[in-house]
Amino acid sequence: MDSLLDQSSLFLQQLVNGITLGGVYALIAVGYTMVYGVIQLINFAHGEIYMLGAFLAYTMVTLLGLPFFAAFILTILICACFGVILDVIAYRPLRNAPRLAALITAIGMSIFLQNLALMIWGSQIKSYPREILPKIFYQTAWSLGEATLSWLQVFILVVTVVSMAILHLIIHRTRIGTAMRAVSLDKTTSALMGIKVNRVISFTFAIGSAMGGMAGILVGLYYNAIFPTMGYIAGIKAFAAAVLGGIGSVPGAMLGGGVLGIAEVIGAGYLSSEYRDGISYAVMIAVILFKPSGLIGRQIGEKA
Amino acid sequence: MKRTALFMLVASVFLSGVAWADSTIKIPVAAAFTGQLASFGEGIKNAAILRGEEINADGGINGKKVQIVLEDELCDPKEAATVATKLANDPEVSIVIGHLCSSASLAALPIYRDAKLPAISPASTNVNIGKMSPFYFRNVYKDDFQGLFLARYAKLARGFDTVAVFYEVNDYSMGLMTAFMKEAKKLGIKVLGTEAYTSDTTDFKPQLTKFKMMKPDAIFIPGYAPQGTLIMSQARALGMKNVAFFGADGLDDDLMLKNPDAEGLFVTTPFLPDKAGPQAAGFIAAYKKKYGKEPNWFAANAYDGVGLAAQAIATVGEDRVKIRDYLASLNSKKKAYKGVAGNTYFDANGDCLKDAFVKEIRNGRWVSAEKQLQ
Amino acid sequence: MMDLKKLQKNPRLFFLCLFFLAVLLPWLPMGGSTNYVIRVLTTAVLYMVLALGLNIVPGFTGLLDLGYVGFYGIGAYTSGLLAIHYNMSLWLILPLAALNGAIWGILLGAPTLRLTGDYFAIVTFGFSELVVLVIRNELWLTRGPMGLPGIPPPTILGHPLTRDWEFFYLILFLLVIVLAVVTRLHDSRVGRAWFAIREDEIAAQCCGVNLIRYKVTAFAVSASIGAMAGAFYAKWFKFIHPDMFKFWESILILCLIVFGGMGSIAGTMLGALILIPLSEVLRAVLPQSMFSARYLIYGLVLVLMMRWRPEGLIPFERAQARKAWQAKERLGL
Repeated sequence: MDSLLDQSSLFLQQLVNGITLGGVYALIAVGYTMVYGVIQLINFAHGEIYMLGAFLAYTMVTLLGLPFFAAFILTILICACFGVILDVIAYRPLRNAPRLAALITAIGMSIFLQNLALMIWGSQIKSYPREILPKIFYQTAWSLGEATLSWLQVFILVVTVVSMAILHLIIHRTRIGTAMRAVSLDKTTSALMGIKVNRVISFTFAIGSAMGGMAGILVGLYYNAIFPTMGYIAGIKAFAAAVLGGIGSVPGAMLGGGVLGIAEVIGAGYLSSEYRDGISYAVMIAVILFKPSGLIGRQIGEKA
Repeated sequence: MKRTALFMLVASVFLSGVAWADSTIKIPVAAAFTGQLASFGEGIKNAAILRGEEINADGGINGKKVQIVLEDELCDPKEAATVATKLANDPEVSIVIGHLCSSASLAALPIYRDAKLPAISPASTNVNIGKMSPFYFRNVYKDDFQGLFLARYAKLARGFDTVAVFYEVNDYSMGLMTAFMKEAKKLGIKVLGTEAYTSDTTDFKPQLTKFKMMKPDAIFIPGYAPQGTLIMSQARALGMKNVAFFGADGLDDDLMLKNPDAEGLFVTTPFLPDKAGPQAAGFIAAYKKKYGKEPNWFAANAYDGVGLAAQAIATVGEDRVKIRDYLASLNSKKKAYKGVAGNTYFDANGDCLKDAFVKEIRNGRWVSAEKQLQ
Repeated sequence: MMDLKKLQKNPRLFFLCLFFLAVLLPWLPMGGSTNYVIRVLTTAVLYMVLALGLNIVPGFTGLLDLGYVGFYGIGAYTSGLLAIHYNMSLWLILPLAALNGAIWGILLGAPTLRLTGDYFAIVTFGFSELVVLVIRNELWLTRGPMGLPGIPPPTILGHPLTRDWEFFYLILFLLVIVLAVVTRLHDSRVGRAWFAIREDEIAAQCCGVNLIRYKVTAFAVSASIGAMAGAFYAKWFKFIHPDMFKFWESILILCLIVFGGMGSIAGTMLGALILIPLSEVLRAVLPQSMFSARYLIYGLVLVLMMRWRPEGLIPFERAQARKAWQAKERLGL
């Protein structure tokens, strides 16, 4: 009896772990999916914006002594600006160049930013001193048997869901959102209809980067580990999540993030922790090969 | 223009090799001074520089000044091989102190062997290293000894009956785990489960959740400090309040002290300031004065390594093969080099047998554990 | 810049001169640093071979292959394991490693090559990460993170190679073979089909080019060159480790061909010849804390080249990439 109870609370705990991880993946995946939807580019540097978000918040809180929530808002704004700058200096000049050129630029930017962070902050893992953060984060919000949910996890989930909802509203209820959808369908026609295409693309970068930066802060808090290469693996997994959900679709990113997070945690918990990262790669490859439109995405044609 | 640039390039590579022609003795120290494991390299760097200054203050070796040259290889086997080639082909180099990580040592070792250049590693504990080259020595114990020691200590001094092992997928961690499990079986410690992580893992919760349900007395982390500190925090956050944690010398890092969840952690170490003999007192005081903190075991071994190299050069001169033969001749307790981290003498493989100590974190500071095992 | 123009017109002469210089190199008086220089140049030539191999996919067919290092790793481990367990001769190992690379290339290429650019890039990336993961975790085969130490050196006519210049000549010999193969392919019917695919897939298909067949061929050739370079690497280093085949390597090699001129054989080689020794120069010049961030420069090279000189140092001669590029820009395509 006892072991059965243990088994079920083990599963419940793993589910909680997986959903939290999935929420974070979803936040990053949104940035990939939106940019891809609008300019059909895998923005490899997105993972680095996530990493910068984590570092910026960390620096503001520990070095400048800002209260956590102020740093949270400020970091998101900086990341949004950063996304716009990235687009303007790196991608915009290549808008009409072959796609290979933009893709290589994206990889180059990603490596550049990662090493820039390495130069500024060093390669050691940074952690928040516990006394700096709000105490409530470390208290248990809810527990059942052996399974627990901390307030920090609640905070992450709430932030994820709320920001996704806001994003959904922006895309479907505002003028700029309509413009974004138009640009993603047909850039040239949108331009002819009077939409300022570059402005819309910059806005997309801003929103995507803000979400990415936010994910960075949350992950920095959750695992309490901030380091220059953190964007690389998380970025690829989030991309896998975006692909799984159907690239270009925001609800898809959320669904994909959730499924991938749970799959990874359950895989690591029940199958083999050695191949944990392989689970995301394998899922990504399988989806691209067999169902490139993802779970709820639109079909991608020969020349998407 | 490109042709000129190319020429300049080749010329600069070439010039950098011959720039230092002086009446000094070069002792290169190859380890990771930047990168993730830089905090390990720091102790090595500090102590080597300290020893170099002390030797020079005493008049150098046979009247020549010692110059400590730092070579950064980031613990990357490829970088280690390039650095090793550079050193092997430098006629002024007659002995190397290095490398730090075992994988770097394994990559550098064939190059030193071919160049007949002796090297003393202050920190590579992988079991295989010694057998592979007659020119590679180390003044640190091997993983099989350390793992065995930990198993005995866990059972005999702490009375653990059930243990879970959380290892990193690398040579160091897996070598330790294998040795630990072998001895644990003999002693009747039940290993409830083993789980893996990699150096870029930050989410340890799925594996820890599994351990939580197994309810072991203790979790053994044969890994490095950057991950070790995260594991302990995440375990506490999952509500694992009563389980004990222990590790090996990879967790012996001041990084652990910043983490309030690491309270009670105990680790093996080759060197303990307050258990070291009287010969170490001067070193500890000088190190504290110069760097403002206590030396760790990396520092102690590097200090001894430079000292041993200096003694060898003073005795037989700057000939590579003669230095090797001299080091190999230190093969019994009587002939041992008496350093700050105990006596160093080598077996036929160039490995050495040293004592291990246990230290633990109490009130946010490293202190030697009350129970030691000899 | 005069020299660069001449170089573009007649790269063959330049490389011939360079080749003779290379042959003479071990005998040039360089004092104590001869072996160090030779080792660095051996690395540079190894990367020339690797870059020539990778160039076939993004350069000739226009598909971004981010998984090249996977084949490099497969080749290295094939070579290391065959040498340790069967003590096989180098002349047997090289073709076997190339064959193994080609098999994996076809296995990966056949299902994935119908994907469009970005998806193809990401799948190849996933593949190379999976290769490293398997190498790392299948201890029974690869000894995983313990690495594979003690690989015996290659022997030629019963004489084991140990000196640096012997390996330098060996890799130079490999380069000549690979260069011959690549140049032949470049000027052949296969090469023309590849360029057609790169310029316009749909048009090529309409002209009767079997897309999948030619793409898979390109992928297989590229993979086997990568695997062969890996085989040499294992024999040269005598120790291999999963960390040596990380994603960074793919980026580095990509950077070489982007810098030199994507699609251009001469450019690819020049890129390797400049950027690989550069890292050693940086080691001497940069302070330690900056050296570990030297990849920053490679990232910057990728970005700046794409922005200002997308055709590289030595542009691909046949298609006059820049002109086509500008024409496309004018048309707003």
